[in-house]
Amino acid sequence: MKAPGRRILAGNIAFGLLFGFAIANIGFGDFGELNRMFTFGDLRMLGAFGGGVARAAAAFAVVGRPPPRARLHAGLVPGAMLFGTGWAISGGCPAIPIVQVASGAVPGVATIAGVVVGMAACRRANERWFHLDRGSCGL
Amino acid sequence: MSGYWPWWVGAPALATVTFGYWRTVGRTLGASTAWDRVLHWREERAVEQLDAAFDDAGFEAALSAATAEAFGSATVAVATRAVAPSGIEAAPDAPAAAAAPATDADAAPAPAPPVPVAAHAALLASIFVGGLIAAVVSGRFEVRLDMGPDFASLVAGGWRMWPTLFLGGVLAGFGTRLAGGCSSGHGLSGCSRLQPASLVATAAFFGTAVAVSFLLWDVL
Repeated sequence: MKAPGRRILAGNIAFGLLFGFAIANIGFGDFGELNRMFTFGDLRMLGAFGGGVARAAAAFAVVGRPPPRARLHAGLVPGAMLFGTGWAISGGCPAIPIVQVASGAVPGVATIAGVVVGMAACRRANERWFHLDRGSCGL
Repeated sequence: MSGYWPWWVGAPALATVTFGYWRTVGRTLGASTAWDRVLHWREERAVEQLDAAFDDAGFEAALSAATAEAFGSATVAVATRAVAPSGIEAAPDAPAAAAAPATDADAAPAPAPPVPVAAHAALLASIFVGGLIAAVVSGRFEVRLDMGPDFASLVAGGWRMWPTLFLGGVLAGFGTRLAGGCSSGHGLSGCSRLQPASLVATAAFFGTAVAVSFLLWDVL
């Protein structure tokens, strides 16, 4: 493997570990905590998320490098609304069911199965009907 | 007391992941994209193999030869100066229209190397291991067949829990790919870089999640 490939792999492992450790300890895998965040019954997780965005934004501002742009497209808002509905119902976004299962919550496997089916269905639907260039957040 | 981190510990941790990932990998963190690439690994590997087999130098030489044949060798020289790397100024006799693209090319950051599908798989596996370590260290690890009392009382208990979680997962999976990102890609990475599309997406998914969560309280 070439040096850039090794760096990317090492970065994915290191920050994947830290990301999983952080979101589990913040409580994103706990449906009750998540519901209290969305209903503003407890602002702790909202503060962690918003504070994280603010601190990262400050770091990006200091570096000052213009980032690649995510695309505005017709699927953006409908897709985000479907995601918000699924997140509120299941307590899982694409990363969270992973830490739910890791904490021993076996039913998180059903959420992961749903995510897999939903992503495959979206790809098929986009190829067949939508034909949207949806971008991928710079990945 | 939940035992979870206070916000002032969680915030720098998420910021470190968001910014540190970009500084190290050269791309932005996004779990849904990693999932999508891993799920379609056959297509991704085919693209990687094509990319590895592609001969950049040979392509440039063939392109130059074809350009010279069609438009003359002087055109190739001008085009070469126009895309010269930073620090090499366009020749004084180069036409302004030809020299202009050099400025744009110089200003643009070098393209980051592609992320192999194996690295995406490693990211997802590492999230699992990180979550496992957190659960064990905090004493929260427990093999169980429910999602907790709040889920049972607000959404569904018993056997209905399984199809409900699956349906929620389908909506999350379909929605994140349709929107091109999730709470990490649009929410953390995109919003922290003030990208308009990510700000719109985050407002939409968070606002919808708030509305649906209040409905869970009111309706169920």
